[in-house]
Amino acid sequence: MSGATFDNLVALVVEDNVHMRTLLRSLLLALGMKNVFEATNGEDAFVVLRERKPDLILTDLSMKPIDGIEFTHEVRSSHKSPNPYVPIIMITGHTERHRVEAARDAGVTEFLAKPITAQNLFLRIVEIVERPRPFVRAGEYFGPDRRRRADENYHGPWRRYEDIRDDTEIR
Amino acid sequence: MTARKSDSHLPRKRQRAAKIPPGVYPVFAAKDAARLLRVLNDPQTIAEAALVIVGKAEELRTAVINHIERMDDAARRSSFSEVFDQAHEIRGLAGCAGLAATGRIANILCKYLDAMGRAGALPEPSVVTLHLVAIARAAHAEDEATRLGDTVANELAALVDKKLAEINDSATH
Repeated sequence: MSGATFDNLVALVVEDNVHMRTLLRSLLLALGMKNVFEATNGEDAFVVLRERKPDLILTDLSMKPIDGIEFTHEVRSSHKSPNPYVPIIMITGHTERHRVEAARDAGVTEFLAKPITAQNLFLRIVEIVERPRPFVRAGEYFGPDRRRRADENYHGPWRRYEDIRDDTEIR
Repeated sequence: MTARKSDSHLPRKRQRAAKIPPGVYPVFAAKDAARLLRVLNDPQTIAEAALVIVGKAEELRTAVINHIERMDDAARRSSFSEVFDQAHEIRGLAGCAGLAATGRIANILCKYLDAMGRAGALPEPSVVTLHLVAIARAAHAEDEATRLGDTVANELAALVDKKLAEINDSATH
């Protein structure tokens, strides 16, 4: 191991499957994180969030009574949320497009499909640390900017006010 | 009575997006970020973290077998939502348990059940059974990462694609 420790960083793992939860916790400990807290669903996670104020959250999608998407909504939008900007990595086996889009629209920072590897998890954390994205408030949405890159070949539809240019075709 | 004219030709109301750049909202402190990046990019850390997963493989394999038993039980009761839940757990755990083909087949089953549910159609029991048998065989095989496991997964993926195409066709006709 690198021997580095991060005594001041706090992580929260939200996962109902005990095996996966333990695995994720072990991977964060392997990084040198000392303060890794756990919750088994979104409801309990929100309590831990308020008590421990994590710097990083890893969450599953499917959990009861509150799933990862609703939890993310709460973190981003609730007036009780201690840090609506906290990075959230959603780690799930749900790779169906509609679920990935739901996670994105809830405001997750990164999405990681299971099965996980140490390298893939670390790459997501690198992305968060190295290239933090602006936060956007647009209509109902509050979360990291969903436009990750400018695509010169994209021709709309344009939804934001500031998208309007002289040659913008309105749809 | 006159029909109301559609307003679909009118531009949709645009939303003014407020952007909050990193730094204005709290991000990792520069010192922590630099140290974290050093550790995260360290090949030795990555290799040793990968060993953490390898060390859990046996425990995860047992968990996968337990989920397979529950999934079979749910299938016997024709509880397809429960079959989906168990298959979902299997696809999540199997890869880390060294059961790649098992996870792949479970993922195909999830894709099938999800699409059928969204289309409001009942899953075909024979399609579900084929997957259950393949998942159980792959999970119990001594050398799971065989060409046979991959071949079965490819065949099932093709079958599911065909079934989903049929559903789409019947929905559009």
